[in-house]
Amino acid sequence: MSDIKDATLTPEVQRLHKGMQEVWGNPKGLRALTVVNHTTVGLRFMVTGAIFFLIGGLLAMLIRTQLAFPDNNFMSPEVYNQVFTMHGTVMMFLFAIPILEGLAIYMIPKMLGARDLVCPRLTAFGYFCYLFGGIILFSSLILEMAPASGWFMYTPLSSGEYSPGPGSDFWLLGITFVEISALSAGVELVVSILRTRTQGMALHKMPLFAWYILAMALMIVVGFPPLILGSILLELERATGMPFFDVAGGGDPVLWAHLFWLFGHPEVYIIFLPGAGIVSTLIPVFAGRPIVGYGWVVAAIIIMGFVSFGLWVHHMFTLGIPQLALAFFSAASMLVAIPTAIQIFVWLSTLWLGRPRMTLPMLWIVGFLVIFVLGGLTGVMLALVPFNWQVHDTHFVVAHMHYVLVGGMLFPLMAGLYYWLPQVSGRMPSERLGKWSFWLIFLGFNVTFLVMHWTGLLGMRRRVFTYDTAMGWDIYNLISSVGGFIMSAGVALLILDIALHFRFGKKAPQNPWGADTLEWAMPKPPTPYNFVSLPKVETRHPLWEEPELSRTIYEGQHGLANIEHGRRETWGSDALTGKLRETIHLPSNSWWPLFSSLALAVVCISLLVRVYWVAALAALVAVVLLLRWSWENGAHPKVAPDATLEPSEPPLHFHTMNGPGVWTMSVSHLANGSLYLSLLFGWFYLWTVAPEWQMPESSPLSMPLLVLAGAALTLGAFVLSKLVRRLRRRNDVGLGGGMYLIGVLGVLQSALIGIVIWQAELAPIESAHDATLLVALVYVLIHALLGAILCLLQGLRVGYGFVSAEMPMEPVVVLRLWHYNLVVYWTLFVAIWVMPTLLGGAS
Amino acid sequence: MKHLLSLTHPIQLVGGLTIWSIWFVAIYGGLSVACAVAPPDPLRDMWTGINLAVGLATLGAMALLLLLSWAAVLAARRTSVRRECYFGNVSAGIYLFSAGATLFVGYPVIFLPPCL
Repeated sequence: MSDIKDATLTPEVQRLHKGMQEVWGNPKGLRALTVVNHTTVGLRFMVTGAIFFLIGGLLAMLIRTQLAFPDNNFMSPEVYNQVFTMHGTVMMFLFAIPILEGLAIYMIPKMLGARDLVCPRLTAFGYFCYLFGGIILFSSLILEMAPASGWFMYTPLSSGEYSPGPGSDFWLLGITFVEISALSAGVELVVSILRTRTQGMALHKMPLFAWYILAMALMIVVGFPPLILGSILLELERATGMPFFDVAGGGDPVLWAHLFWLFGHPEVYIIFLPGAGIVSTLIPVFAGRPIVGYGWVVAAIIIMGFVSFGLWVHHMFTLGIPQLALAFFSAASMLVAIPTAIQIFVWLSTLWLGRPRMTLPMLWIVGFLVIFVLGGLTGVMLALVPFNWQVHDTHFVVAHMHYVLVGGMLFPLMAGLYYWLPQVSGRMPSERLGKWSFWLIFLGFNVTFLVMHWTGLLGMRRRVFTYDTAMGWDIYNLISSVGGFIMSAGVALLILDIALHFRFGKKAPQNPWGADTLEWAMPKPPTPYNFVSLPKVETRHPLWEEPELSRTIYEGQHGLANIEHGRRETWGSDALTGKLRETIHLPSNSWWPLFSSLALAVVCISLLVRVYWVAALAALVAVVLLLRWSWENGAHPKVAPDATLEPSEPPLHFHTMNGPGVWTMSVSHLANGSLYLSLLFGWFYLWTVAPEWQMPESSPLSMPLLVLAGAALTLGAFVLSKLVRRLRRRNDVGLGGGMYLIGVLGVLQSALIGIVIWQAELAPIESAHDATLLVALVYVLIHALLGAILCLLQGLRVGYGFVSAEMPMEPVVVLRLWHYNLVVYWTLFVAIWVMPTLLGGAS
Repeated sequence: MKHLLSLTHPIQLVGGLTIWSIWFVAIYGGLSVACAVAPPDPLRDMWTGINLAVGLATLGAMALLLLLSWAAVLAARRTSVRRECYFGNVSAGIYLFSAGATLFVGYPVIFLPPCL
């Protein structure tokens, strides 16, 4: 069909579009920094990620220049160490994850028939954390004090003794800052996919891309916290001397390897899954038929998501682990080939049974299939322990990793870029330039990395800054370097193509590829509100089965086609069936995300330069800003000046008890729980494995005070549960007073934990035991304080009339936190007091 | 809660792999602790108490997963709601994969000593 923008609209529908534009439109000038719209923020993520990709690519070219010839002096060893560390770090943390998150942030609401993600301000906050974290990290390179211990920062090389400068600190603090962004995107993508699908879109009817992103987001939520914990512990060790990874103080450097790879291996699949999602979206479109085996793909995604967490030790095969344990991880590593193979056979079957069109995006998909299968095969080779021992830390592993990551992520990403470019710009890509770019990158890549397998098999170690000509590696390295420059030429052509595209690309028709998903049912470039009316969708292929959907949506013939109230709204639907449950009122543009992330950036920089009082002050400011941001929520008049609804519409979400806030809090606790379990893992690991760990004969912690603090927490959780049960019966008598009482109990718990810490007279600098205890107690103290503050604020909000029997959602959200605190506190009590007391000083 | 336990609920999609993960963490963690606390004589072969315990845990987890796989197939056959049938069948497949994965990862106990 022709572009829906050419459709003739009635004056009433024109007014509707105009009203939507006023409510959803992006401000210009300085206020553009307040934009929270997912389309804009998603694009910002992708553009920033692309810039970091170019920087990472430039660093790669420096590496290849250095290695092109033996005994080369192009770079000194010190600079080379910084360059390869930053190449890996930039590509993994500042390019791959953020650009894929940006794509998901941009695309998911459009595919699901929603107007935005469920927490738009969190999206913007995540972007600023990513931007500031990336700038801080990258500035280290300009200041010539970049990290130089490799992108996985193994201890003790990265510890204070062997890396005394601020390089490692830049990495640890910058990456942790960037990971706040990844986690915030992960949490809201999960909740958005589960709770904001358009009416009728049941879980088993949603696009496969959404399944892939759901798995990716959940993996981020569970997989990133171990590294956050590891980074906090290592930074504490570097800054204060707490010996978590120092054998002499009772720590163990292998703990870092565990925490890093608990994150690092799933990370590979976190990067691959969205790439595979793009492939599963594009192949049916270009084959002109539904995908073969939707259910098989869903099963493969879930299996991959889980099994990828069981492989982390295969990065540690040479660390001296018992053979039987090696066999467990070797087998698990081979198992992951099964879900991968399922997907490859599904894609091939779909192409076989369809009528494939060899367009530019498909060219990149074919490139993906070739490269990724090769990378997968060397992956199975590396899963075999004896082979792994032989090639460990050689260029063979480097080649394998690039085949998997570039094949599994970059090629699908390029396919997606060319596929969705018309959706973003309204113009078609250039086939000629695009094909030239593809062939240069494809050939350049294979020339670089296929040869690198041989270099590795001949014994060349990764990370060596140069080599002697007698080693016989000269010609292979030269070929790899030439290939790298061919690939760079392809990337340069790609940039030229994209730049020309926005100026000279031909106008795209409404659905240029004949796609089946809803992102092609909106105007191009997309309007900030996506859909003026939200359709009912009960099929996996809405645009194939209802080609007129684009027009009827644009003409406002579907749901939520009303803007007189001035609110940003989208549907809240049942996670399973897609039935409508509530109308989600989305917050609009705001300065809070920018200001909060700026305060956190100040914390990060202050910690880097070790001006701790500024860091503490900035942290306090950040907390105040975040709480102030949370204050403008729910029924606050600034965000909900008009709470009236059409009689046919479901209630506004804050009038219910299961709105998206409850889900967001629950998913956040998955991340929080992962961090806590990593901490428990660290405690038990050091206790059982660290050779110099000293468990005292009796616990230094006061049992009566710990029990009393736990009792205050338990009583608070009990009273809060009771208040929430009353709210379910629409009874808010005593709600405000009850909230203040629970807040006081939270303060009491915090005070008691504080006294326990003070009384214990821990020596965290001398012993890993005391340092771990201190971190664990501070963790529960922070949670106790948060629980108390939120309850006191709830008491205030009841007084202001923002929370009541009619608006009961917020106490349910706070109850989730108290339940979490309850479980964490008592399990920690068992781990750090009961078990050491029962087992005595056995270590 | 009863609804969540139904074998046609989508939560069952992660049930099998959750059991597999718990089993995996238990055998790896248990092996590490056992080797640290009470390692068997290094001259002994694979017939040790540790291998026996890991082997029994493997067989138990596999049996449970096979049972759940079959139960999910039956639940999918019983229902007339298409959505439930879909989730029942996919869950059955994942339970079956998890059972196979348990056996595949655990079978080295029959030929490798535990702590060397």
